[in-house]
Amino acid sequence: MANTVIGSSIVIDGEISGDEDLVIQGTVKGKISLKESLYVEGSGVVEADIETQNVEIAGRVTGNIVASDKVELKTDCRVVGDIKAPRILIADGASFKGNVDMDMKER
Amino acid sequence: MATPKELSADAVNNTVVGPSILISGKLTGDEDLTVRGRVEGELTLSRTLIVEPSGVVKANVAVKNAIVSGVVVGNINATESVELTREGRMVGDIHAPRVIIVDGASFRGRVDMGDVEPGRLPAERPVVARPTTVARPTTPAARPSTTPPRPPVAPSRPTQATVVARPTPPPPPVARPPQSKPLPPPPPPRAEPRPAAPAPVVEQTASAEPPTPFAVGAGAKKKVVVKKKTR
Repeated sequence: MANTVIGSSIVIDGEISGDEDLVIQGTVKGKISLKESLYVEGSGVVEADIETQNVEIAGRVTGNIVASDKVELKTDCRVVGDIKAPRILIADGASFKGNVDMDMKER
Repeated sequence: MATPKELSADAVNNTVVGPSILISGKLTGDEDLTVRGRVEGELTLSRTLIVEPSGVVKANVAVKNAIVSGVVVGNINATESVELTREGRMVGDIHAPRVIIVDGASFRGRVDMGDVEPGRLPAERPVVARPTTVARPTTPAARPSTTPPRPPVAPSRPTQATVVARPTPPPPPVARPPQSKPLPPPPPPRAEPRPAAPAPVVEQTASAEPPTPFAVGAGAKKKVVVKKKTR
Protein backbone atom coordinates (compact mmCIF):
# COMPACT_ATOMS: atom_id res chain seq x y z
CA MET A 1 0.00 0.00 0.00
CA ALA A 2 0.88 3.59 -0.17
CA ASN A 3 3.37 4.57 2.37
CA THR A 4 4.89 7.77 3.48
CA VAL A 5 8.32 8.00 4.99
CA ILE A 6 9.90 11.07 6.45
CA GLY A 7 13.60 10.31 6.22
CA SER A 8 16.11 10.90 8.96
CA SER A 9 17.55 14.11 7.56
CA ILE A 10 14.17 15.70 6.93
CA VAL A 11 12.76 18.45 9.08
CA ILE A 12 9.14 19.43 8.70
CA ASP A 13 7.74 22.43 10.45
CA GLY A 14 4.03 22.55 9.90
CA GLU A 15 1.14 20.24 9.48
CA ILE A 16 0.89 16.73 8.12
CA SER A 17 -2.43 15.14 7.36
CA GLY A 18 -3.47 12.14 5.37
CA ASP A 19 -5.18 8.79 5.05
CA GLU A 20 -2.23 6.46 5.04
CA ASP A 21 0.53 5.13 7.22
CA LEU A 22 3.30 7.51 8.08
CA VAL A 23 6.79 6.57 9.17
CA ILE A 24 8.88 9.24 10.79
CA GLN A 25 12.63 8.87 10.96
CA GLY A 26 13.32 12.58 10.90
CA THR A 27 11.91 15.58 12.69
CA VAL A 28 8.38 16.89 12.60
CA LYS A 29 7.14 19.92 14.46
CA GLY A 30 3.59 21.16 14.41
CA LYS A 31 0.67 18.83 14.00
CA ILE A 32 0.03 15.38 12.64
CA SER A 33 -3.39 14.03 11.86
CA LEU A 34 -3.85 10.73 10.13
CA LYS A 35 -6.56 8.16 9.67
CA GLU A 36 -4.08 5.31 9.77
CA SER A 37 -0.96 4.43 11.72
CA LEU A 38 1.93 6.57 12.73
CA TYR A 39 5.34 5.04 13.38
CA VAL A 40 7.95 7.15 15.07
CA GLU A 41 11.16 5.24 14.63
CA GLY A 42 14.21 5.37 16.84
CA SER A 43 15.73 8.31 15.02
CA GLY A 44 12.41 10.14 14.82
CA VAL A 45 11.71 13.30 16.74
CA VAL A 46 8.19 14.65 16.92
CA GLU A 47 7.21 17.86 18.60
CA ALA A 48 3.61 17.88 17.64
CA ASP A 49 0.11 17.09 18.63
CA ILE A 50 -0.82 13.77 17.15
CA GLU A 51 -4.22 12.54 16.11
CA THR A 52 -4.36 9.13 14.49
CA GLN A 53 -5.77 5.66 14.69
CA ASN A 54 -2.61 3.90 15.85
CA VAL A 55 0.71 5.19 17.08
CA GLU A 56 3.89 3.27 17.64
CA ILE A 57 6.68 5.24 19.19
CA ALA A 58 10.28 4.18 19.41
CA GLY A 59 11.72 7.67 19.17
CA ARG A 60 11.01 10.92 20.91
CA VAL A 61 7.64 12.59 21.04
CA THR A 62 6.69 15.79 22.76
CA GLY A 63 3.02 16.64 22.48
CA ASN A 64 -0.41 15.29 23.11
CA ILE A 65 -1.48 12.08 21.47
CA VAL A 66 -5.03 11.14 20.67
CA ALA A 67 -5.54 7.79 19.04
CA SER A 68 -8.82 6.16 18.10
CA ASP A 69 -7.39 2.68 18.53
CA LYS A 70 -4.01 2.18 20.15
CA VAL A 71 -0.87 3.87 21.39
CA GLU A 72 2.25 1.83 21.86
CA LEU A 73 5.34 3.16 23.60
CA LYS A 74 8.29 0.97 22.74
CA THR A 75 11.37 0.20 24.73
CA ASP A 76 13.61 3.14 24.03
CA CYS A 77 11.08 5.83 23.44
CA ARG A 78 10.82 9.10 25.28
CA VAL A 79 7.40 10.64 25.39
CA VAL A 80 6.24 13.79 27.09
CA GLY A 81 2.57 14.67 26.80
CA ASP A 82 -0.89 13.36 27.40
CA ILE A 83 -2.12 10.20 25.78
CA LYS A 84 -5.72 9.47 25.09
CA ALA A 85 -6.68 6.17 23.52
CA PRO A 86 -8.75 3.08 24.27
CA ARG A 87 -5.61 0.91 24.29
CA ILE A 88 -2.31 2.09 25.60
CA LEU A 89 0.77 -0.09 25.83
CA ILE A 90 3.91 0.98 27.60
CA ALA A 91 6.86 -1.34 27.22
CA ASP A 92 9.53 -1.93 29.78
CA GLY A 93 12.27 0.64 29.26
CA ALA A 94 10.03 3.31 27.81
CA SER A 95 10.15 6.69 29.45
CA PHE A 96 6.96 8.64 29.62
CA LYS A 97 5.69 11.69 31.40
CA GLY A 98 2.09 12.76 31.11
CA ASN A 99 -1.47 11.73 31.63
CA VAL A 100 -3.06 8.59 30.35
CA ASP A 101 -6.71 8.46 29.44
CA MET A 102 -8.30 5.22 28.25
CA ASP A 103 -11.91 6.32 28.53
CA MET A 104 -12.45 6.95 24.90
CA LYS A 105 -14.95 4.14 24.39
CA GLU A 106 -17.43 5.52 26.86
CA ARG A 107 -17.45 8.91 25.33
CA MET B 1 3.94 -4.94 8.31
CA ALA B 2 4.58 -4.06 4.72
CA THR B 3 6.56 -1.09 5.86
CA PRO B 4 10.10 -2.44 5.74
CA LYS B 5 9.56 -3.94 2.32
CA GLU B 6 8.29 -0.70 0.94
CA LEU B 7 11.24 1.06 2.41
CA SER B 8 13.83 -1.10 0.81
CA ALA B 9 12.04 -0.93 -2.49
CA ASP B 10 12.21 2.82 -2.48
CA ALA B 11 15.87 2.90 -1.56
CA VAL B 12 16.71 3.08 2.06
CA ASN B 13 17.58 6.67 2.59
CA ASN B 14 14.65 8.17 0.87
CA THR B 15 11.69 10.18 1.96
CA VAL B 16 8.34 9.58 0.38
CA VAL B 17 5.21 11.60 0.77
CA GLY B 18 2.39 9.24 -0.08
CA PRO B 19 -0.56 10.09 -2.27
CA SER B 20 -3.03 10.84 0.49
CA ILE B 21 -0.64 12.90 2.58
CA LEU B 22 -0.75 16.66 2.88
CA ILE B 23 2.19 18.46 4.40
CA SER B 24 1.77 22.15 4.90
CA GLY B 25 4.52 24.21 6.34
CA LYS B 26 8.22 24.09 6.00
CA LEU B 27 10.14 21.04 4.90
CA THR B 28 13.91 20.82 4.88
CA GLY B 29 16.30 17.94 4.46
CA ASP B 30 19.49 16.46 3.09
CA GLU B 31 18.10 13.52 1.19
CA ASP B 32 16.02 12.76 -1.84
CA LEU B 33 12.33 13.45 -1.52
CA THR B 34 9.62 11.83 -3.55
CA VAL B 35 6.26 13.53 -3.52
CA ARG B 36 3.17 11.55 -4.45
CA GLY B 37 0.84 13.59 -2.30
CA ARG B 38 0.77 17.29 -1.55
CA VAL B 39 3.35 19.59 -0.07
CA GLU B 40 2.52 23.22 0.56
CA GLY B 41 4.64 25.97 1.94
CA GLU B 42 8.36 25.85 1.63
CA LEU B 43 10.62 23.04 0.54
CA THR B 44 14.38 23.05 0.91
CA LEU B 45 16.57 20.08 0.10
CA SER B 46 20.24 19.63 -0.56
CA ARG B 47 19.44 16.81 -2.92
CA THR B 48 16.79 15.79 -5.42
CA LEU B 49 13.10 16.49 -5.39
CA ILE B 50 10.96 14.14 -7.42
CA VAL B 51 7.37 15.10 -7.96
CA GLU B 52 5.56 12.08 -9.27
CA PRO B 53 2.48 12.28 -11.48
CA SER B 54 0.14 12.19 -8.50
CA GLY B 55 2.20 14.74 -6.60
CA VAL B 56 1.29 18.36 -6.07
CA VAL B 57 3.75 20.88 -4.73
CA LYS B 58 2.58 24.38 -3.97
CA ALA B 59 5.71 25.78 -2.53
CA ASN B 60 8.81 27.72 -3.08
CA VAL B 61 11.35 25.06 -3.74
CA ALA B 62 15.10 25.21 -3.24
CA VAL B 63 16.89 22.00 -4.19
CA LYS B 64 19.83 20.63 -6.08
CA ASN B 65 17.81 18.75 -8.69
CA ALA B 66 14.13 18.70 -9.39
CA ILE B 67 12.28 16.25 -11.58
CA VAL B 68 8.70 17.26 -12.08
CA SER B 69 6.20 14.74 -13.38
CA GLY B 70 3.33 16.11 -11.36
CA VAL B 71 2.19 19.61 -10.57
CA VAL B 72 4.30 22.38 -9.17
CA VAL B 73 2.96 25.81 -8.39
CA GLY B 74 5.70 28.07 -7.12
CA ASN B 75 9.24 28.92 -7.90
CA ILE B 76 11.99 26.39 -8.20
CA ASN B 77 15.52 27.34 -7.43
CA ALA B 78 17.90 24.53 -8.26
CA THR B 79 21.65 24.54 -7.98
CA GLU B 80 21.95 21.91 -10.66
CA SER B 81 18.98 21.09 -12.83
CA VAL B 82 15.23 21.18 -13.24
CA GLU B 83 13.46 18.74 -15.49
CA LEU B 84 9.84 18.91 -16.53
CA THR B 85 8.87 15.54 -17.86
CA ARG B 86 6.09 14.70 -20.27
CA GLU B 87 3.52 14.67 -17.50
CA GLY B 88 4.93 17.65 -15.67
CA ARG B 89 2.88 20.77 -15.20
CA MET B 90 4.28 23.83 -13.62
CA VAL B 91 3.44 27.45 -12.99
CA GLY B 92 6.23 29.54 -11.56
CA ASP B 93 9.76 30.61 -12.23
CA ILE B 94 12.69 28.31 -12.67
CA HIS B 95 16.17 29.32 -11.74
CA ALA B 96 18.75 26.67 -12.53
CA PRO B 97 21.83 26.26 -14.69
CA ARG B 98 20.21 23.38 -16.50
CA VAL B 99 16.55 23.38 -17.37
CA ILE B 100 15.00 20.57 -19.34
CA ILE B 101 11.48 20.83 -20.63
CA VAL B 102 10.30 17.80 -22.47
CA ASP B 103 7.65 17.65 -25.14
CA GLY B 104 4.26 17.30 -23.47
CA ALA B 105 5.21 19.22 -20.38
CA SER B 106 3.30 22.37 -19.65
CA PHE B 107 4.91 25.34 -18.07
CA ARG B 108 4.13 28.96 -17.45
CA GLY B 109 6.72 31.18 -15.92
CA ARG B 110 10.20 32.43 -16.38
CA VAL B 111 13.35 30.49 -16.87
CA ASP B 112 16.66 31.79 -15.71
CA MET B 113 19.73 29.71 -16.40
CA GLY B 114 22.07 32.32 -15.02
CA ASP B 115 25.09 33.20 -17.10
CA VAL B 116 24.70 31.33 -20.31
CA GLU B 117 28.15 30.27 -21.31
CA PRO B 118 28.03 29.47 -25.00
CA GLY B 119 30.73 26.85 -24.71
CA ARG B 120 29.21 24.90 -21.90
CA LEU B 121 25.50 24.61 -22.52
CA PRO B 122 25.59 23.07 -26.00
CA ALA B 123 27.86 20.39 -24.67
CA GLU B 124 25.36 19.40 -22.05
CA ARG B 125 22.27 19.81 -24.07
CA PRO B 126 22.59 16.93 -26.52
CA VAL B 127 22.94 14.42 -23.74
CA VAL B 128 19.58 15.03 -22.22
CA ALA B 129 17.53 16.87 -24.77
CA ARG B 130 18.03 14.67 -27.77
CA PRO B 131 15.10 12.35 -27.19
CA THR B 132 12.96 15.44 -27.02
CA THR B 133 13.64 16.58 -30.52
CA VAL B 134 13.33 13.10 -31.89
CA ALA B 135 9.94 12.55 -30.34
CA ARG B 136 8.60 15.84 -31.52
CA PRO B 137 6.27 15.39 -34.45
CA THR B 138 5.75 19.10 -35.00
CA THR B 139 9.07 19.52 -36.75
CA PRO B 140 7.87 18.55 -40.21
CA ALA B 141 4.99 20.98 -39.89
CA ALA B 142 7.35 23.81 -39.26
CA ARG B 143 9.44 23.10 -42.30
CA PRO B 144 6.93 24.02 -45.02
CA SER B 145 6.62 27.49 -43.61
CA THR B 146 10.33 28.05 -43.91
CA THR B 147 10.58 26.54 -47.35
CA PRO B 148 8.29 28.89 -49.31
CA PRO B 149 10.68 31.82 -49.32
CA ARG B 150 13.08 29.76 -51.33
CA PRO B 151 11.07 29.12 -54.54
CA PRO B 152 11.04 32.80 -55.52
CA VAL B 153 14.81 32.69 -55.50
CA ALA B 154 14.97 29.59 -57.58
CA PRO B 155 13.35 30.94 -60.74
CA SER B 156 15.91 33.69 -60.99
CA ARG B 157 18.69 31.17 -61.24
CA PRO B 158 17.75 28.13 -63.26
CA THR B 159 20.74 26.17 -62.06
CA GLN B 160 19.44 26.22 -58.56
CA ALA B 161 16.26 24.44 -59.45
CA THR B 162 18.08 21.20 -58.96
CA VAL B 163 19.21 22.32 -55.58
CA VAL B 164 15.73 23.26 -54.50
CA ALA B 165 14.58 19.82 -55.39
CA ARG B 166 16.81 18.71 -52.59
CA PRO B 167 14.13 16.72 -50.74
CA THR B 168 14.38 14.05 -53.37
CA PRO B 169 17.46 12.15 -52.38
CA PRO B 170 20.60 12.74 -54.36
CA PRO B 171 20.33 10.21 -57.17
CA PRO B 172 23.79 8.85 -57.76
CA PRO B 173 25.47 9.01 -54.38
CA VAL B 174 26.55 6.34 -52.03
CA ALA B 175 23.73 4.54 -50.25
CA ARG B 176 24.60 6.23 -46.96
CA PRO B 177 21.15 7.72 -46.63
CA PRO B 178 20.11 9.63 -43.52
CA GLN B 179 23.27 11.61 -42.96
CA SER B 180 23.68 12.79 -46.51
CA LYS B 181 20.21 14.27 -46.69
CA PRO B 182 20.56 17.26 -44.36
CA LEU B 183 23.66 18.65 -46.05
CA PRO B 184 23.41 18.04 -49.76
CA PRO B 185 26.97 17.73 -50.90
CA PRO B 186 26.39 16.94 -54.56
CA PRO B 187 27.02 20.43 -55.93
CA PRO B 188 30.25 21.47 -54.33
CA PRO B 189 32.13 22.51 -57.44
CA ARG B 190 29.72 25.18 -58.67
CA ALA B 191 30.01 28.69 -57.38
CA GLU B 192 26.33 29.56 -57.60
CA PRO B 193 24.77 26.85 -55.45
CA ARG B 194 27.00 27.81 -52.62
CA PRO B 195 24.52 30.23 -51.03
CA ALA B 196 21.92 27.54 -51.17
CA ALA B 197 24.07 24.92 -49.51
CA PRO B 198 24.53 26.75 -46.22
CA ALA B 199 20.91 27.72 -46.23
CA PRO B 200 19.56 24.24 -45.59
CA VAL B 201 21.83 23.94 -42.62
CA VAL B 202 20.44 27.10 -41.12
CA GLU B 203 16.98 25.94 -41.82
CA GLN B 204 17.58 22.67 -40.09
CA THR B 205 18.78 24.18 -36.88
CA ALA B 206 16.11 26.80 -36.99
CA SER B 207 13.32 24.32 -37.48
CA ALA B 208 14.64 22.13 -34.71
CA GLU B 209 14.68 24.87 -32.11
CA PRO B 210 11.54 27.01 -32.47
CA PRO B 211 9.01 24.23 -31.90
CA THR B 212 10.21 23.89 -28.35
CA PRO B 213 8.73 27.11 -26.96
CA PHE B 214 5.80 26.78 -29.25
CA ALA B 215 4.71 23.34 -28.09
CA VAL B 216 5.25 24.23 -24.48
CA GLY B 217 3.27 27.43 -24.73
CA ALA B 218 0.32 25.79 -26.36
CA GLY B 219 0.23 22.97 -23.90
CA ALA B 220 0.60 25.29 -20.95
CA LYS B 221 -2.52 27.25 -21.62
CA LYS B 222 -4.70 24.22 -21.94
CA LYS B 223 -3.42 22.44 -18.93
CA VAL B 224 -3.35 25.39 -16.61
CA VAL B 225 -7.05 25.72 -17.07
CA VAL B 226 -7.54 22.09 -16.19
CA LYS B 227 -5.43 22.48 -13.11
CA LYS B 228 -7.57 25.32 -11.81
CA LYS B 229 -10.63 23.16 -12.04
CA THR B 230 -9.05 20.48 -9.91
CA ARG B 231 -8.10 22.88 -7.22
